[in-house]
Amino acid sequence: MNNVIANILRFFVLLLVQVAICQHISLFGYMTPALFLLALYLLPLEMPLSLQYVIGFATGFVTDAFAHTLGVSSFACTLLMFLRPYIVRMLNGANNVKFENIDRPVPGVKDFRWVFLYTLTLTSIYEVVAVLLETMTFKNFGHTLLVIVGNTLFSVFVILCIEYIFHSRVKNEP
Amino acid sequence: MNNLIEFFKRAFHIIVLAVLLILSLVMLGKSLSFNEYRISRAVQGVVGPIQKGAAGMVHKLRLGPENEALVQQNIELMREHENMFIEKEDTVMTAMSTPDSTNRSQVRLYDYTYAHVIFRTVDRAFNYMIVDKGARDGISRDMAVLSPSGVAGVVTDVSQNFATVRPILHPESRISAVVTPANQNGTVIWEGNDPGVAYLEAIPQHSEINIGDSVFTNGYSNIFPKGLLIGTVKEVQVGNNASFLTIKIKLATRYTDIYTVYLVENLFKSELDTLKANFKDE
Repeated sequence: MNNVIANILRFFVLLLVQVAICQHISLFGYMTPALFLLALYLLPLEMPLSLQYVIGFATGFVTDAFAHTLGVSSFACTLLMFLRPYIVRMLNGANNVKFENIDRPVPGVKDFRWVFLYTLTLTSIYEVVAVLLETMTFKNFGHTLLVIVGNTLFSVFVILCIEYIFHSRVKNEP
Repeated sequence: MNNLIEFFKRAFHIIVLAVLLILSLVMLGKSLSFNEYRISRAVQGVVGPIQKGAAGMVHKLRLGPENEALVQQNIELMREHENMFIEKEDTVMTAMSTPDSTNRSQVRLYDYTYAHVIFRTVDRAFNYMIVDKGARDGISRDMAVLSPSGVAGVVTDVSQNFATVRPILHPESRISAVVTPANQNGTVIWEGNDPGVAYLEAIPQHSEINIGDSVFTNGYSNIFPKGLLIGTVKEVQVGNNASFLTIKIKLATRYTDIYTVYLVENLFKSELDTLKANFKDE
């Protein structure tokens, strides 16, 4: 129960920070961090899949509403929630365990390398989908690619910073 | 039948996924077509107020740079005002030139720059201000200092990076002024300790001065351009001992919250000063 409240609170705070601050940042004119993705990344893996999709969609919808890009982020986030279990399974590799309580995608439970790759993979997927949907064209593809890479790196950096600042004292317990 | 239910149970999340993805694409398609506003307008009704609040917060952080830009723009506009120029007429008239326009030219007499007040006093007998620009930025002695609302003072001392300004709130401050609509010339001085009030001297008894009349610079000093607001008449007393009125004026510049000031340079200052000095010598 405690976990549920923490998750809801995290969604609110991160979405607020996203629409109030992050969306207005454009480093070098094009790099905008997608910090709100962190809320999705930290969702428990054992949640019912359909609920995960709905949460992903709703989160995307809120950011879309504030960025005037209806549909873009909703699509990307829903897709992200669909792909997430596969990414986790891939990263777990040889010691592939069923999703149990212990398999949480958080620092402390997982080592830095795992968390970094997890964040990087999911963020790149999100940015590729979102940026392509937003531009809707392959014209000037060099710049589009630059935006994707820039956004991804900036987002991953911000997400990891926030994640490690607030999770450094999470104990490795089930 | 049981099989069908079982299938739905297992495939439920896939159906949810498909529905959500299709919904996203539909929204995307709608928002891309320009004549379909309904969804975005409904969303905007909810989001708008929140966004306005957030934008306001961000805007506050950006006020500094925006202010600088506006000051810059102000200067551009102020530089084009007619009191910045003097009219010259060519002495050589050619047969071709028409008398009205072609042989006339405007020569720039004054130029503007700006600075920020970093220190000021208002409650002393001898007040002064310090601004954040100096000789390196082209500030020189006797440049006029204006606040956004009116005349503020004169530069009295310049160092490499800073300059001292003597505001009107100083016993030695004298600014030649004209009071309208009576059109009488006088001098604005300050005495006492009220940072909002100064006196207008040398206005003859017979002039009709009303409360609320405006006091402007008259441009005689070669420091201030003509027609800048100094203040408004607050009180008129008919003195019994002299032939002049005692006029209290409310200063336009609010010294208590002065920050951005405009500095006016007379481009022919040295030339005019030489003439004046020569006249005194004779």
